[in-house]
Amino acid sequence: MSRRVLLLLPSALILVLLLAIPYLNIVLISMRPSTPDMAYGSGFTLENYRAVLSSVRTWREIGTTLWIGGATTACAFVLGFPVAWNLARSPGKSQALRQSIVLSPLLVGIVVRSYGWTILLGNNGVMNRLARGLGLTHSIVPLMYNRLGIIIALTHVFLPFMILPIQGGLQNLDPALERAGRSLGASRRTVFLRVILPLTMPGVQSGCIMVFIMSISAYVTPVLLGGMRVKTMPMTVVDRLIDSFRWPLGAAEALVLSGIGGLVLLVFVALTSRRWNRQ
Amino acid sequence: MTQLVIEGLTKWFGGKAAVDAVSLSIDDGEFVSLLGPSGCGKSTTLQLIAGFEQADAGRILFDGEDVAPLPPERRDLGMVFQSYALFPHMTVAQNLAFGLEMRRVGKVEIRKRVDRALEMVRLSEMADRFPRALSGGQQQRVALGRALIIEPRILLLDEPLANLDAKLRDEMREFIVGLQRRVGITTIFVTHDQSEAMTMSDRVVVMFDGRVAQSGAPREIYERPAGMEVANFIGQANFLPATIVADEGRLMARTVLGVRELLPGTGLEPGGTVSVLIRPEALTLAGADDAGVVQATVDSISYSGNFTLYRVRLPRGEMVNIQAPGPGRQARGDAVGLRLALAPLWPIGIG
Repeated sequence: MSRRVLLLLPSALILVLLLAIPYLNIVLISMRPSTPDMAYGSGFTLENYRAVLSSVRTWREIGTTLWIGGATTACAFVLGFPVAWNLARSPGKSQALRQSIVLSPLLVGIVVRSYGWTILLGNNGVMNRLARGLGLTHSIVPLMYNRLGIIIALTHVFLPFMILPIQGGLQNLDPALERAGRSLGASRRTVFLRVILPLTMPGVQSGCIMVFIMSISAYVTPVLLGGMRVKTMPMTVVDRLIDSFRWPLGAAEALVLSGIGGLVLLVFVALTSRRWNRQ
Repeated sequence: MTQLVIEGLTKWFGGKAAVDAVSLSIDDGEFVSLLGPSGCGKSTTLQLIAGFEQADAGRILFDGEDVAPLPPERRDLGMVFQSYALFPHMTVAQNLAFGLEMRRVGKVEIRKRVDRALEMVRLSEMADRFPRALSGGQQQRVALGRALIIEPRILLLDEPLANLDAKLRDEMREFIVGLQRRVGITTIFVTHDQSEAMTMSDRVVVMFDGRVAQSGAPREIYERPAGMEVANFIGQANFLPATIVADEGRLMARTVLGVRELLPGTGLEPGGTVSVLIRPEALTLAGADDAGVVQATVDSISYSGNFTLYRVRLPRGEMVNIQAPGPGRQARGDAVGLRLALAPLWPIGIG
């Protein structure tokens, strides 16, 4: 036991040094007063939290951020589950190939991928010109500079993180379970809802948690696809820290977003665990 | 309860016929084993009956009705899998109730039938346990109960004993056969284990390379196998050349081990030569100098506790297997005498 704890030591050290201590610092900064000439002043105050929580604009942006996060997670789940199923049920060699195709987008940086989507989704972009060329529409269909564009791009960017844990869960399932369900009179749909989904729920939960967290904290993609016309919380936080140089307020905003995101996840896990994961 | 008829069933996998024009007719309440080595098409046949695979040719009829258009969930079959495939997130009672819920049986009725099923598989105390808290044999019984609770037309068993240890396997054999007799359900049992097939079935269907090699009662399969392949698969077999002679109107086979009557109904003529099947237990070892024995030398011995298998060499070089009860006194290289039992012989091939 004591030796196995040693295995955790290097990563624990890195986490403490590079994550816990800075986080603690952020918490401290969020309780400092703002000053005009320095990043933050001395003393303790809860004024920043009061300002954040009483601002209608903040709540609207948190709403937007959570909405985009939730929608992205839902889209990634709907698109990712079938892919995970296909991967889990393909034979060895072809599975390795398909897996690398699923992972290949990760080889391209997030900026490039998001920029790629602006080329596709822009008002004069590939999709719009194609739609007009095919006579499907005569006006411009707004595919970006709105939430839709951000959700499309985020879904693409984070899809692998949904697929991999679900695939892991499916791979551990006995393929005979599906047949057992069918032989007992359950349709494919019922087998999915009553057998497959509950048994892969841990994987679904990890996938959803990862995609949701990454979506609500995404910066580059919302900036490029939203064209600053959609404001999410990370953008506001960055504005505070860099443009208006008000670290305490930015820190408080960041922590409020983390807290609310965490609460949403807790509710999600509680609901999905009680409903499905009865093991 | 259902009569099952299979006509010319064929299934291709990658340019090879996994099931090749199989025809079978299984009576209401009959227990039939599909027996063969792995890859012989027995499991595929079962998957076709269950509806998990689609046949490329041929028909499957339940009481005269072609089931080809029915998906698995509408075929009304009970199936037990090699891995049992119990739903790990459901308790024993929930596993049993699943099929009834799918049939929209009322809650009260479900509880009653689950209780009865638990009793039937002797697991009443385990109702609220999860499958992983059960032993292999208990899981097996849940799987049986789950398949039977829906009162299916046919029970399909896909190598259900393969994952059990030897002692439990014997117990489960008896349990399954007892249950099947009581319920009286038409049952198809897929196995590669000839002793399971022999002890449990009304009829054994031996399959090789996707085809039915022989279909018959266990005794018929053992005593009158359709060919050397079947004879070898069902227990140990010796094949010895024999000349057919007539004696007072009866056909006799003359072999190096003596002259014996031939089993009737072979359609053979005197003067021909055939191979005859001699099972190892039809031979006994005696002293080398005893009267009326054939001389032989012990080549190898394998001791199995309740019997010993000897491989002995005849004077002209043929090797013969002999099964004798208990441990023997003979050792490798010993000269021994061989006696062939007086029972009639079965000709198994020409020459």
